Amino acid sequence: MMIRDVKDMVKMYKLLIRFSIRSRMQYRFNFWTGSFIAAFIAFMEFALLAVILSRFGTIQGWSIAESAYLYSVLTLSKSIYRTFASDVHHLEQYLVSGNLDGLLLRPLPVLLVLMTQNVSIRFGELLLGFGMLAYSLGILAGKGQIELWSAIPLTLLISLNGALLLFGIALATAATGFWLTRISMLQNLTEDATHTAIRYPLTIFPGWLKGVLTIGLPVAFVNYMPALYIVRGEAGPWILALSAAASAAVVGAGALLWRTGMSRYQSTGS
Amino acid sequence: MLFYALARASYSRNLQYRASHLLHNIASALFGFIYLSIWTGIGEGRDLGVYGLAGLVSYVALNQCLLWITAFSSFGLGIPALVRTGAIATELARPVHLFYNMMSREWGNLWYQALYKSFPIYMLYVLLIPLRFPSSLTNAAVFIAAVLGAAYLSICIQYLIGAVSLWTTESHWLHWLNHAMFTLFSGFLIPVEWLPGWLGAFSRWSVYPCLQYIPARIYLGMDGASALLPSLFWCAFLTVACLAVTRLMRFRTEVQGG
Repeated sequence: MMIRDVKDMVKMYKLLIRFSIRSRMQYRFNFWTGSFIAAFIAFMEFALLAVILSRFGTIQGWSIAESAYLYSVLTLSKSIYRTFASDVHHLEQYLVSGNLDGLLLRPLPVLLVLMTQNVSIRFGELLLGFGMLAYSLGILAGKGQIELWSAIPLTLLISLNGALLLFGIALATAATGFWLTRISMLQNLTEDATHTAIRYPLTIFPGWLKGVLTIGLPVAFVNYMPALYIVRGEAGPWILALSAAASAAVVGAGALLWRTGMSRYQSTGS
Repeated sequence: MLFYALARASYSRNLQYRASHLLHNIASALFGFIYLSIWTGIGEGRDLGVYGLAGLVSYVALNQCLLWITAFSSFGLGIPALVRTGAIATELARPVHLFYNMMSREWGNLWYQALYKSFPIYMLYVLLIPLRFPSSLTNAAVFIAAVLGAAYLSICIQYLIGAVSLWTTESHWLHWLNHAMFTLFSGFLIPVEWLPGWLGAFSRWSVYPCLQYIPARIYLGMDGASALLPSLFWCAFLTVACLAVTRLMRFRTEVQGG
């Protein structure tokens, strides 16, 4: 592919994203209500963890500030991934209705077109994520456990890396839809259940579940593993490199599965 | 009997997807294991009050089984979809009350979910965890009454959410809001008496503990039949609310499609 082709593609991608955001903003009230409620839901989920921590102090040695750190990195990563790839998660609707056929006609790779559909910046969840992060880093810096000048940029980097990793898992799961069509059950396992698990320190889980979350579906590299270096100082900087490698491997596997699936795609809609 | 016919139709429709739903149970059971791991991790070497570690494990495991009866009823009982297509006009014109009609269908759905989702997960937990059995037959009977009340309350809540879709296209957010409130205030993961300050007070005065906390405590033998009183009050209150909302729906109906 020529450099000029890539430039054209990026230009087209930006244009489609702008159209997508503009179309969402036609219903401003709906947009802001949705953003507020999404943030409220995320907050209530964190409140559950906070209540447990406030009663028992720590979870296997992880304080409320450290747990908030895990939660905020997950929230930020998930918000970024869902902002830019919301409809990768919703591929099943396209497969069942046959609407994917329409996307095949666009002058861009199908995945890229899919990623321009329903782009919506998740203000509420981002605000909540940054709020919890500020709270967590503030307390940890106050105790002298971290240095803010290094912790802030590293946290932003691992959040982006986490978004990539979550995207990779979502892509691989969505790609199975080319064979299975219905994927919501699988998403329940690979996305919902794993995201719920990594709100908590990995040490509380039994060995088999730790293995699943570290090797099978390596979501532990979204927040827990990097936090061992940034917040706890229990691992070296190599763990950040390992987290980046995990993301690259997962995205690579997802892309491969997607490409294979696309070559077998048969329209199911009417 | 109309109730039986509608419930049975809904139950039979669900039967078509039995295999897929049984697979879904794996995900649900896994969620339960995650929650159990949390409490096992926290509870080791700590005082967990009247529950104790074994009691709390049973409490959380049972709540995970109950979700399919008390929390996962259909979004708005299908009313938002009816509003979207315009079919709500036909439903309102039928010679049967809309609430009775929708409720009957949902009972069939919940009965299916109890048999093919809650029960298999319950048996899995009994074998693997192990989840305790009720201490006596009376205890079991009161527990079943509590679960039936919780299922009815869940139906009423979803009916009210569905009714809102006549006036806004955003009723799905109410559904998620209800789900978020349920997560914290129903006692599903953490017993209500452990919620601090105003959170605990809000929960106790809300309908949510009737959905999980009260049935689970009855099952564990911690409460008796008198614990059903709040559920009875909420059943009566929400029934009146559902009937009142139906009157409003009949007064002026706007549909999105048709």
